[in-house]
Amino acid sequence: MRLLAAGSAVALFVLLRLTTPAPAVAVGGLVGLLLAAVAIAAHWRWLATAAGCVFLTGYAAALWVESAPVNIVPALGFGLALFFLLESLDLACCVRGAAIDGGVVQSALRRWIVLGAGAFVAAMLAMALATLFATALPAGASPLLAAAGALGSVWVLAVMIRRAHTGAERT
Amino acid sequence: MTGRVTPFVLSLMAIAAWAVSLGVLSARPELFAVALPTLLALATLARRAPRPDHSIAREISSNRLFEGGAVTVTVTVAARSPIALIELLGPLPPGSAVLAGRHRAVMTLGAGRTTRWSYEVRLPRRGVHDLGTIAVRVRDRFGLRTWENRHVDPMPLRVYPRVVALRSLPRPVHAQASVGDYVSPALGEGIEPGDIRQFAPGDRIKQVNWRASLRLGQLYVTQRHRERNADIVLMLDTLAEVGAPPETTLDLGVRAAASLATAYLGRKDRVGLISYGGVMNWVRPGSGRVQYERLVDVLLKAEVVFTYVAKDLLRVPPRVLWPQALVIAITPLLDPRFTKAVLDLAARGFDLVVLVVSPVEVTRAALASSPAGDLACRLWTLERRTTLGELRRHGLPVLEWRPPEPLEAALVSARRRRVRLASAG
Repeated sequence: MRLLAAGSAVALFVLLRLTTPAPAVAVGGLVGLLLAAVAIAAHWRWLATAAGCVFLTGYAAALWVESAPVNIVPALGFGLALFFLLESLDLACCVRGAAIDGGVVQSALRRWIVLGAGAFVAAMLAMALATLFATALPAGASPLLAAAGALGSVWVLAVMIRRAHTGAERT
Repeated sequence: MTGRVTPFVLSLMAIAAWAVSLGVLSARPELFAVALPTLLALATLARRAPRPDHSIAREISSNRLFEGGAVTVTVTVAARSPIALIELLGPLPPGSAVLAGRHRAVMTLGAGRTTRWSYEVRLPRRGVHDLGTIAVRVRDRFGLRTWENRHVDPMPLRVYPRVVALRSLPRPVHAQASVGDYVSPALGEGIEPGDIRQFAPGDRIKQVNWRASLRLGQLYVTQRHRERNADIVLMLDTLAEVGAPPETTLDLGVRAAASLATAYLGRKDRVGLISYGGVMNWVRPGSGRVQYERLVDVLLKAEVVFTYVAKDLLRVPPRVLWPQALVIAITPLLDPRFTKAVLDLAARGFDLVVLVVSPVEVTRAALASSPAGDLACRLWTLERRTTLGELRRHGLPVLEWRPPEPLEAALVSARRRRVRLASAG
């Protein structure tokens, strides 16, 4: 599991380097890699989250520096690598010092493949919808809409988590 | 079963929120795509997850063993609904060590699937341990929700103190009425020849001493000494202990008591026990295998319970502390209250032997070697020599057992001393 987490961290760094060769972004990636390495070695989940945030910031900076045309596929890969880093470390913490059934790793890999495929389909659908609505929406309102959408999605997530928490407690 | 959302959700939430925020700030749609897998995983929380349905059964290879023995715990998990990940934390009594396997297991189970997991535990310390509690945590597909509960099904495991075979045992002064291994001064049925007397009507022909009869010209019969048993009361000091488990003075005292009880019961004696400490327990003298179980029951639970109260032996019923019983006091002599109780028994005329478990050697074994520690131990030894000398001046037979030397070595000196005392008396 820790190998999978390490592989994901390396993939994040490589994707960052492929996005832009700028040295400042590379330094940010190295910092993220270092944090991820410490998190994997010490089984610290919070540090892995911090590493994820650093990688994300680096990726945003890389996109901003390059100003390249929109390409969803590498971004999706980056998002998947980020998710795999966090989940594999979470699993590594869970199985630490335990007798592991062979099905655990297989099940995780199967789950990730399904998630990857689902994310790809969802991204394609989202892009198609965005292309459809882009012409209809006024250009000046788009930042406001994006901010409202972001806020709305975070709020929906928070409500879902709260409901899931109370639902789980009831069971 | 208690369910809750895991901290992993917060972690994913932080990443998703940060990606979306950066996406809005930098006006790059790729960052929304980065957040997509995380958001999709979080979206699974919207689905009301069914409570995982499973059953757990466990068994242990043996429910009784001696100190240092090992037991195999086997846990069988059967899933009635699919379980993405189940974590099981098997019982591990304090002080025990896992010899083979792990006492924690993580597995994935399909609906209707059953799996077994086992591990071996070594239990170095006596006591009654419960191996019936298993902590279970079930995670959902992405580890966002967990359900926790404890499967409790009491499964006691009795770890008996190690027993050594003893050949030299302190001999009691008084014999009792039942048949045993001690040659009684009283004459009657037995094997050991005692005296001869003139034949009387009712004597059996096989009792006739032909040699004496021929020499003296009259029929003489051989009288024999009766073989009788004795009452032994083991008095265990549970007021104080030193050393590191499982080699504290109390653990060693318990082993000595169990060994003495086994040896005396093997000689058909009646053995009783008094656990003298913060909490007093006693077992009235008895014989046989069942009595051994009764004695061990008290010995397994023997522990130091701190108290300021000096316990009076008058509270012990006379049927437990029989005046003609041999009392063997097993003590490290750390608490003056026990010394006082021993002197009290001696003053009341009890046949008494004091078996002192030397705390100096036990403490030395528990401490790292240092010049200051060695000096302290030497000074302590001198001080204890004075205490033991004082007990001996009261006429008490004091046997000092210095572990790791065998208990037999300490008991041999008792046999010699008591034979000499008996012949003097």
